Amino acid sequence: MAPLETEVLATSEAISALTEKVLAYLEEQQVDSRAAHHVALVVEEIVTNLGTHGNCRDKPAKIRLMVEPAQVTGEIIDTGPPFDLRLAPDPAIEAPLEERPIGGLGLYLIRKLTSTLEYSHQNGQNLTTFAIARS
Amino acid sequence: MELEEERVGDAFVVTARGRLDGASSSIFADRISGLMTNQKPKILIDFTEVDFVTSAGLRAVLILLKKVKAADGSFALCGVQNSVREVLDISGFTAMINIHPARSDGIAALSP
Repeated sequence: MAPLETEVLATSEAISALTEKVLAYLEEQQVDSRAAHHVALVVEEIVTNLGTHGNCRDKPAKIRLMVEPAQVTGEIIDTGPPFDLRLAPDPAIEAPLEERPIGGLGLYLIRKLTSTLEYSHQNGQNLTTFAIARS
Repeated sequence: MELEEERVGDAFVVTARGRLDGASSSIFADRISGLMTNQKPKILIDFTEVDFVTSAGLRAVLILLKKVKAADGSFALCGVQNSVREVLDISGFTAMINIHPARSDGIAALSP
């Protein structure tokens, strides 16, 4: 099956357009709606994070998605500062409402929604890869 | 995201449609905050046609929840789709929000 390959700047308009594109591609590839939702959400959260903490507001990130029989895999390449999102601390999701911090949920969702999540930094580039199981 | 509000007794029922994400979360938060003018505001948001909620959307919901709680009001959702529900579960939001299966259940729970 043909992969989806695209580039995106991390602005909210471009990210919304990317999410549309990802959902349309996964639907065309007949990926179930739950996996399609999770893949689109994980890609959106990764790119949003690159806009906040990386340099992808100026330099586009490269996205590649592949549909395999049992899972969907994704690769995101960016040239921002090295950042391994697997190592970010978990937010206090069990804290009572009054004490709950606003934020930190994006990276947490990425870690929870993926079945594998890998990171490497090579030749000035970050490579983040993930897989999400199909049902 | 499209938002449409309706007054039901002393409560507001808001129908939301589309994606609650970084592009729409501040519009969503401002619009719902604007409905919290009463003492003890009562807000029910119909999520039947919301197919995507990102962490930016969750932040907006959390801000609204804190405001409602500070004003001693109530905040509930209804019609939450399964994938969105899973995101709310993972993020610990299900423990903080009343989630009703259907709009009619949510409206019934609003009456004093």
